[in-house]
Amino acid sequence: MDVEVDGILVAAHELKAPLAVLRQLALSFEGVGAKDERIRDEMVSVSERAIRQVNDLTKVRRLEDGLFVMEPVAVRPICDDVTRELMHLFKYNKRDLSIKYSNRSQLVIANRELLHGVIYNFLLNAMHYSGAETRSELMVKDKNDRVRVVVRDFGPELPTDVWREMNRGFVEKPTSIAMRPGSSGLGLFIASKFSHYMNAEVGAIRHRDGTSFYVDLMKSKQASLF
Amino acid sequence: MIFVIDDDEIMAECIANAAGDAKVFSNAIEAMNEIVKGNIPKLIFLDILLDGPDGFTFLNEMISYDDTAKIPVVIVTSLDLSDKDLSVYGVVKVLSKDDMTPKDIRALVKYYAK
Repeated sequence: MDVEVDGILVAAHELKAPLAVLRQLALSFEGVGAKDERIRDEMVSVSERAIRQVNDLTKVRRLEDGLFVMEPVAVRPICDDVTRELMHLFKYNKRDLSIKYSNRSQLVIANRELLHGVIYNFLLNAMHYSGAETRSELMVKDKNDRVRVVVRDFGPELPTDVWREMNRGFVEKPTSIAMRPGSSGLGLFIASKFSHYMNAEVGAIRHRDGTSFYVDLMKSKQASLF
Repeated sequence: MIFVIDDDEIMAECIANAAGDAKVFSNAIEAMNEIVKGNIPKLIFLDILLDGPDGFTFLNEMISYDDTAKIPVVIVTSLDLSDKDLSVYGVVKVLSKDDMTPKDIRALVKYYAK
């Protein structure tokens, strides 16, 4: 029987290989001066972000295989992991990131890897759209039988068509938010796909000075044991 | 002596530079031929997707001979093998090409080959 080759998965693997090599090459410059070290760290960081995006795209492709197990997961440690990963990037781009946890329910029904991807893409999106010297906010709070993770940016207003798609809970395809590099809307597309798989609701709230993107996750019944 | 088996020349060079005293092979057959000549490595860094026989074929060859069955092998791959137990192949560690660092390689060399 012929096995159908998934062109996207093959392309993803082809893309990942040179990115991983670039990252290793950058890392091999050890013992460089402070100025070069900064450039090296940026090269590593750019490659890592690109690798992650390729990995996320591969995961989107594999969602229908149902390989991602849903289980009770603690939402705050995942937020902590993502912010730890991205904090240097915010600093490097002269952005601030504030974190506020007010949720009483700790556990949600999700897939750890996919939830990490949703928050990562929301935060990367916020970093990209916030103006220089501004801050983004990551908030986790209770909302009825759900836990809401919100990422607020202080950038340009979200176009209404993207806002409508987000609130419909499903971004059909990457939609460009602004005519500049990195504005393909790929991050939001990935976040919405992952959320949809987890039966979580995504949405966006437009503000006059930016946008809040959120994902509402089902609370885990196991939380009542604590 | 450490063996690095990877068909990506630059990646292999990066690993070999971090490992120190290393010999690079671009496919499994070259590495097996070197072993047959009597050059038994103390540690092997092995990619899985190779030209010709893949990494698992190489591992099967390795564990089938008494002189190579106990050589520690570090898999270096971009595949997700996190849920696989490969210890039966003598695999002591799986490094992901996505996030490994020269420090990780040096630590493994220090532990298994010094």
